[in-house]
Amino acid sequence: MPDVETEHVLGRRRFLSAMMTAGGVLAARRAFGAALEIGPGLGLDGSSAPAPTLARYPQKTDLILLTDRPPQLETPLKYFESDLTPNDAFFVRWHLSGIPTSVDVQSFRLEVEGKVNKPLSLSLTDLRKQFEPVSLVALCQCSGNSRSLFDPRVPGGQWGNGAMGNARWTGVRLKDVLDAAGVQAGAVQVGFRGLDEPAQPQTPPFQKSLQIDHARDGEVMIAYEMNGQPLPMLNGFPIRLIVPGWFATYWVKSLTKVTALDQPLKTFWMDKAYRVPDNPQANEDPQHLARETVPINVMPVHSIFVKPEAGERLRAGQSSEVAGVATDGGSGIKQVEVSMDGGRSWSDAKLGPDLGKYSWRSWRANWTPAAKGTYRLMVRATANNGEQQVTEQWNRSGYARDVIEHLDVTVV
Amino acid sequence: MNRRKLIIALAIMAATISSAAGQKPHPSSSGPEVAGNASEVVRIKLPDYAGEVPKGPNMQVYESNCLLCHGSRYVTIQPPFSRETWQKEVKKMVDAYGAKISEADQPKIVDYLVAVRGVAESKPGQSGH
Repeated sequence: MPDVETEHVLGRRRFLSAMMTAGGVLAARRAFGAALEIGPGLGLDGSSAPAPTLARYPQKTDLILLTDRPPQLETPLKYFESDLTPNDAFFVRWHLSGIPTSVDVQSFRLEVEGKVNKPLSLSLTDLRKQFEPVSLVALCQCSGNSRSLFDPRVPGGQWGNGAMGNARWTGVRLKDVLDAAGVQAGAVQVGFRGLDEPAQPQTPPFQKSLQIDHARDGEVMIAYEMNGQPLPMLNGFPIRLIVPGWFATYWVKSLTKVTALDQPLKTFWMDKAYRVPDNPQANEDPQHLARETVPINVMPVHSIFVKPEAGERLRAGQSSEVAGVATDGGSGIKQVEVSMDGGRSWSDAKLGPDLGKYSWRSWRANWTPAAKGTYRLMVRATANNGEQQVTEQWNRSGYARDVIEHLDVTVV
Repeated sequence: MNRRKLIIALAIMAATISSAAGQKPHPSSSGPEVAGNASEVVRIKLPDYAGEVPKGPNMQVYESNCLLCHGSRYVTIQPPFSRETWQKEVKKMVDAYGAKISEADQPKIVDYLVAVRGVAESKPGQSGH
């Protein structure tokens, strides 16, 4: 049997009903007793850290397995050599163990409700036919991308640099959908909820909100395609919110409810989780945690190495390509500089194609190391708005990393 | 099977509405047609990557309280943390996420976490999400 099925049934079958089937009982037995199907991976930093475990999920290629329940899967760096990240290599991050595993594309509805004149219940066909389609390339990056690089370490998903991806999203403007419903005066925020459910009723369901002006800025989208294809189930099939320039925590997957609110959404996921110190660098001292925090928001400027990978050996006297991607929150990348001598001297890298201000920007440079030895490569990006990376940063949750990164390489 | 075990089994079932035993999952990029006449369900089967639960004191207390929401791998990918950090994590699960962990079980779970992923930290850390 294929791992993705499209089957014809009457009515709607969802996670909870499937959970109660006899097949589920067998699956539970296997979960305790099954042998693992896991392959060896490449070391992330070439150090003595254990090689990551690779796993293959439905509609996905081999990805780095952080956790299986809920699934958290990281993209291996090699996929960042292309300007658009393939759907099957795109990272996966869910919060709650009750994730959607089936969607009836006929009966699925997006509910638009709350402080609106005309509540809507939109089918996928309605979304495609009643609203103008729009498309843009945007970086989707987990708030905790690169968390494993924080020192001291912090608990949470221990991501390397692969909790992000760049894709062309196609769908409709959230503004158009809200306008069709007629947002009433007095609405201050718009709340979002997907199909995922907590395992226990007392666990807060995953919900996020945006200020009303942001939600109606004409750029926030409801996407039904990713790189010209339907979204993989694990990336939010059938539709997800796209919040260009903002961290992925707002990009609610399997979006099913949009609610205009006359007061700010009160939820653990806005009030307690996904908050950063209230300063531009999301920085704080481990010994003196910041008193004031704010919901994480726009992505800072950052850049990473994609090639060579950690632990790769280069040859003295031979030209090698050094490449990577630079990311920011929507002003676009103006300049990327690289250093091959631990930051003593810097030179401009060549920028790749400009796919729009919300896209990442690939960069590359050629380097011919003269002699054998160990070299510290560094990379730093500057955004069009002048924002630059920092030399040091730490926060308690390992969010919004914007440190100038280094890569130690051995030349033989 | 007591009630707690039943709940855990249901949770694991939910996460493993799964392929037949021994079947290797394989990728598919083929997507569904969104428009169509008949009702159409797109369904995936999550593979089993549950992994083994690390051995440690109070392992059963940890299993019965924590594995309802978390796969057992979550602990195995964490770097070592101090007892203080693990205490904060367990408290957060109770206070923020509504985990029904008894007063008596909470320190036992901390002991387990310290045993499998504990080491002194120089500085405090709190969790990301």
